[in-house]
Amino acid sequence: MAAAFDQTVEPTYQSIDREVLRLMEPGGLAYWAWICLCAFFVCIAAALWTNQIYSGLGVTGLTQPTMWAIYITNFVFWVGIAHSGTLISAILFLFRTRWRTAVYRVAETMTLFAVATAGLFPIIHLGRPWFFYWLIPYPNERYLQPDFRSPLDWDLFAISTYLTTSALFLFMGLIPDVANARDAAKGWRKIFYSLVSIGWRGTDRQWRHFSMAYLLLAGLATPLVISVHSVVSWDFAMSTLPGWHSTIFAPYFVAGAIFSGVAMVLTLLIPMRRILKLNDLITPWHIDNLAKVILLTSLVVTYSYIVESWATWYSGDPIEQMTFHMRYFGPQGWLFWMMVTCNCVIPLLLFSPRIRVNTVILFIITLFINVGMWLERFVIIEGSLATNFEPSQWRFYHPSVTEIFVTIGSFAWFLMLFSLFARFMPIVSMTELKEGITWLRQALRNNYSRAS
Amino acid sequence: MNGDIMVIGSFADDGHAAHAIEHLKEEHVENLRAFAPIPSEKIEEALYHGKSHVRGWVLTGGICGVITAFLLTVGTSLEWGLIAGGKPIVSFPTYFVIFFELMILGGATSSVLGFMVNAGMPVLDPITGYSDRFSSDRFGVVVSCATESDCAKVEAMLKQDGAEEVTRETEQAA
Repeated sequence: MAAAFDQTVEPTYQSIDREVLRLMEPGGLAYWAWICLCAFFVCIAAALWTNQIYSGLGVTGLTQPTMWAIYITNFVFWVGIAHSGTLISAILFLFRTRWRTAVYRVAETMTLFAVATAGLFPIIHLGRPWFFYWLIPYPNERYLQPDFRSPLDWDLFAISTYLTTSALFLFMGLIPDVANARDAAKGWRKIFYSLVSIGWRGTDRQWRHFSMAYLLLAGLATPLVISVHSVVSWDFAMSTLPGWHSTIFAPYFVAGAIFSGVAMVLTLLIPMRRILKLNDLITPWHIDNLAKVILLTSLVVTYSYIVESWATWYSGDPIEQMTFHMRYFGPQGWLFWMMVTCNCVIPLLLFSPRIRVNTVILFIITLFINVGMWLERFVIIEGSLATNFEPSQWRFYHPSVTEIFVTIGSFAWFLMLFSLFARFMPIVSMTELKEGITWLRQALRNNYSRAS
Repeated sequence: MNGDIMVIGSFADDGHAAHAIEHLKEEHVENLRAFAPIPSEKIEEALYHGKSHVRGWVLTGGICGVITAFLLTVGTSLEWGLIAGGKPIVSFPTYFVIFFELMILGGATSSVLGFMVNAGMPVLDPITGYSDRFSSDRFGVVVSCATESDCAKVEAMLKQDGAEEVTRETEQAA
């Protein structure tokens, strides 16, 4: 399918609509094969989880002292992935950052499905998941203390607020675009889009209140981004376990979350841009800026690693120092060094402007970052538990087949939801691209002149 | 809008549409509305004075969220009444996290609710004067007029202010 724009024709409102609405046409065989492949892995994960419920947590690799391992790693990883969506959509909206317009819908969608995926893991991790509501603190007759001092309860409020706010933010942004799709659609799609757009016609009255509501939602979502991953970090930092009990955890986790989230945005965006031929909507300018965010947050994460190690050495606490010694040079030390390579060394390549716009190399770098950030969470969670206060209890964890396939299933679940959304909803915001059409034209002119 | 005939001017950009609205207002034409594919500050400034009431909704929602959090945490802790770890039963510093989260939750849900109430959504009936192009690439100014002479005057003004196309439509009964 030919792209809407070329070097001599500048983008217009109509051509933006045409390009984005083209993405919402019914998917071909390859698309549905991809959805089936994802669904297949989700089914395997569901079957293994069902077996886990039936047989008990003995089918996992969880054992004393590592009763938190891959499932909680996945939880923290997916919450972190969710972070960049709100960063790109809310914080950059408040700063009126020009390059966000083409990529923010992808990031917001990713946020919603990443939080939805993350929310599954505390439940999957339960031996009796049907009692998950026991976590909700309210006056009860079950002799369960509603302990609001527990960071796990804070987490419940933080994650559910984040899920709700992210969903509302995505929904609000979708309304004008879905109304546009409604006007171009026929049959059941027209009915569906009419329902989702709740009668939007773009009247002055609607825009007036929409703009204010969207601005205030962005203002509310901004501190929420900072708070949610801080609260997640306090799940660990509030304990006295060596390797967890650290005041640096909140900013360290927030920076890491933005780092991994933006990397995941590019992991999704680069293949999507190529497969769906979106080169004229998502330009090297957009990709270059996302790569710069990755580079900046990589440096912050590297700084956090150094400060964490330095604080441990300076504390003079032998137990803390032994935990870190085991983290670096113990039986699982290779995981730590792999993490450092992926998160601190490889992203340094992004200092090169050529690499920042080379989508193949950039895609590979983002894959390394995804692996590195998953490892970071695993090293912190599992490594600290495995080498706790009492050396006689030390025991390293090994994942079971169930945990490995549930983890793979979570990626398949996330990718399936994202792919379905991208086919049925506008995955690029037409409204905001039109608002920033001058910048899009400028970006296209600059990139074409650079290419020529 | 009270009139039976709607005059619809279609504009290529919001600047011309806003100018037309200002011109119509100068001539004391009040029964008008605008359609736009993107938010336009120019059109909003031409039509409205003051800010949207959604702000009040968000403030109220946020305050309600904090009050809910206060009642939930303090009330539940007092109802349980167990001293744990030598800490006070009501430990405010740890409750501030819950206060904050529910404030955001209350504010966020109220912002969407406030938008829907103030914008009169969901809209179930068609809006007279709306065209599919107003969600795509054109800005519309719709004026309700009671008499033929008023309509002719409005049409002339819209054309003078740069309307690409001026049409008429009969207002649909509510």
